[in-house]
Amino acid sequence: MGSRVEILNDGGYRSDGRRQFELRDIAIDLSRHGQADGSAMYTQGLTEVLVTVFGPREAKLRSQTIHNRANINVEVNIAAFSTGERRKRSRGDKRILELGAAIKSTFEPVIQTHLYPRSQIDIFVQVLQQDGGLLSAAINATTLALITAGIPLFDYVCAVSSGVHSTHAMLDLTTLEENDVPHLTVAVMPRTGKITLVTLETRLHSDRFEEVFRIACEAGKVLHEEMRNAIKARTSALARAMGEGHPAGAPSNREGDEDFEMGDD
Amino acid sequence: MRPPSPSIPEREFALSALQQSMRIDGRTLLEIRPINLTFGPALGCVECELGKTRVLAFIDSKMIKPPEERPLEGIISIHSEISPMASSAYETGRPSDEEVAITRMLEKVLRRSDAVDRESLCIVAGQRVWHLRLTLHFLADAGNMLDCACLAAVAALRHFRRPEVEVVGEDVITYDPSERPPIPLAMHHTPYVLTFALFPFASTPAPQQTKLSSTHVPTPQLANSSITAVLDPSPLEASLLPSSSPSLLSLALTPQRELCVVNKAGGVPVSPEEFLWLVKVAEERVREVEACLEGGLLKAKAEAEGIGSL
Amino acid sequence: MEVDDTDGGETSLRSKITSPGESLTSSQAFMRGHGTYVEDDEVIASVAGTVERVNKLITVRPLQTRYNPEVGDLVVGRITEVAARRWKVDANSRQDAVLMLSSVNLPGGVQRRKLESDELQMRTFFEEGDLLVAEVQAFFADGAMSLHTRSLKYGKLRNGQLVTVPPILILRLKSHFYSLPCGVDLILGLNGYIWVSKHVKDNEQEGEEGFDAEAVYSNQNDEIDDATRAAVARVSNVIRVLAAHFVPLNDTVLVEAYEWVVEQEYTVKDLLLREDVADALVSAVATARPDL
Repeated sequence: MGSRVEILNDGGYRSDGRRQFELRDIAIDLSRHGQADGSAMYTQGLTEVLVTVFGPREAKLRSQTIHNRANINVEVNIAAFSTGERRKRSRGDKRILELGAAIKSTFEPVIQTHLYPRSQIDIFVQVLQQDGGLLSAAINATTLALITAGIPLFDYVCAVSSGVHSTHAMLDLTTLEENDVPHLTVAVMPRTGKITLVTLETRLHSDRFEEVFRIACEAGKVLHEEMRNAIKARTSALARAMGEGHPAGAPSNREGDEDFEMGDD
Repeated sequence: MRPPSPSIPEREFALSALQQSMRIDGRTLLEIRPINLTFGPALGCVECELGKTRVLAFIDSKMIKPPEERPLEGIISIHSEISPMASSAYETGRPSDEEVAITRMLEKVLRRSDAVDRESLCIVAGQRVWHLRLTLHFLADAGNMLDCACLAAVAALRHFRRPEVEVVGEDVITYDPSERPPIPLAMHHTPYVLTFALFPFASTPAPQQTKLSSTHVPTPQLANSSITAVLDPSPLEASLLPSSSPSLLSLALTPQRELCVVNKAGGVPVSPEEFLWLVKVAEERVREVEACLEGGLLKAKAEAEGIGSL
Repeated sequence: MEVDDTDGGETSLRSKITSPGESLTSSQAFMRGHGTYVEDDEVIASVAGTVERVNKLITVRPLQTRYNPEVGDLVVGRITEVAARRWKVDANSRQDAVLMLSSVNLPGGVQRRKLESDELQMRTFFEEGDLLVAEVQAFFADGAMSLHTRSLKYGKLRNGQLVTVPPILILRLKSHFYSLPCGVDLILGLNGYIWVSKHVKDNEQEGEEGFDAEAVYSNQNDEIDDATRAAVARVSNVIRVLAAHFVPLNDTVLVEAYEWVVEQEYTVKDLLLREDVADALVSAVATARPDL
């Protein structure tokens, strides 16, 4: 048990030297991954998740097609070496099934599935390392992978984990902290500020819950900024590559860009 | 075989009723179906009826040697399988998404939130502990099996009595209930699960707020809500939205305003204010459920004593 | 791929970069196109890509996506299933395309009725795994595309190899059939599938009466000499390298890149194994462009 570790010391630092509301380093790699239509490698601290997206494509099984929208299929695999203790989980493991079901139902209302009747979108989540915040990392990586695959979404989904140590709220917990304090995961759609996913698995008084819940909602918007920057960097790099190698006479007759009013970001 | 999804007119009918704050079974939006708990005959055997949904929970105990890593704690195991008996929607074999959701939720509510004091189930450290087996039988599915199953399980845990034991030197003496009265489990808290179905449209306020029963507690109001929440959804209400997974929010909480488990996995997005409002509603409603359980337990106890004194 | 600072580079881009959930403009003054949706009187992007505007129509074009078919497009596809009176064809789109038995040229004359015997021997024309070039003819109600091969240019593909690239790199041009000077034929399918093969002389392609079923549905490759094989491999590798660097493809770019590789005396596999060669190739193509 981790109770020997001081979760938050008198100076306001956590066991890994972070402040209460400090997130761990986030690294996002959006380069193409084999045959996949979209992929994202998302690293937050020591938690690392790779998500690849295939589709929309022809459904593998005819029974899975839905006549008026795309079917979403999520497969989660947790590497045996992802935790300190080597452990092989079977595909039928309830925890893995639940994780997959949570990702599926989170993205079902976010993906514009009605544009792709009878198609299937496959989302493969591979957990490479886990050190807390597994669900939130998987959701963020899935958002990024779907965007790189060019699949239309209503908005980003940005998830973050948070917890409460006695009366202090904390963000982005490590495994060590998750074992010790009540923690919840919140997924935010930043444009409207609405919440699609909330999970809490340990007892917490509802006044404390409200406090940490609101902080997590705010943190989701900060994450959105990170994710958006990564997407924009990738998109403009590709657009620039296309522009430079553009053959002469290619369509560039665009007129009157000045009177095009853009909403400010 | 999955039941066919509701037809378009069926769906439209139910949804437009909801927009006017009416449900097709005549309940108000935040009304729970009548709860009926039947205790006994054995201790730890409870049948819970929530409307027409029925779940039977049964607890038995035996002494085992604890696992190496946790020598000071008893073990609680939960066994639940939804058989086709409950509804033709279920098949034996591979568990459906819904079944996974129910068993995971039960697991979190009863075990992870530490409802039962597991250390009190220890008899001799590292040698003898109690192993409680909670078996749930899903008898009939008329919607919201999760709430019903959790209530049945909690009621069974509260109703259960384990035999009194005494440690004499190396031996453990178990007393028959006729010799010494069996003792109840030590519970940290009693969680109740309430499930809402969420719809992405606003509804007009209910027209006849005053005409409700005496047990009705005033509902906190939320202005400018863009969602409609329905407590204790029926199967039709859970399948109204065109999505393969229903848009549900399940809250496990205690009457002391403690949240034990929150599970909203996707579905209709809600604003933080709407979410916190739903938590407040649940805090109010959970008292009704608590009153049902406590009343039932008292009655069961009185009956048991009545039989005992004969 | 290098990612420069986006702020500096963005002004030089032809249009603005956006990503899902970003508000673009008011829906009262503009119309929403692909890659956008409307909520609360605002046009909002639903994909990451470049914003484009034609008069009052706002669209967002995603840079990496599946192929979005249009009638008249030339595509290269692979048969996935032989069904009743139709073939299913994988064409890198959101659903498999359909090639009706009535949309192919049958042996024994172009203008003849389809017979029951044709239905029974569909696998003699195309079987699972066969590659073909076809044109998008129409769409079904659910958005699946219907193909046809009723032209002498279309049909089964032989004598070469398939290279796949992101569909956005293939621009809509007058022709998608090219013969490169190095003795290699190219078919640039708009779905991102490119067929690189040995050059076939025009008069060999067209038999008498305009149609030779034996040749069209043959599974036999022609004799190919070593030099041609090397050229096919070199062109394929050039395409792979340029696609990995996201360079739009057409015949002039490819000819130039091919000549550059030959001039520099790199071997065929150098292109894929050595990153410096790949980078040099991309910059050679990019710098050479304005001179043309």
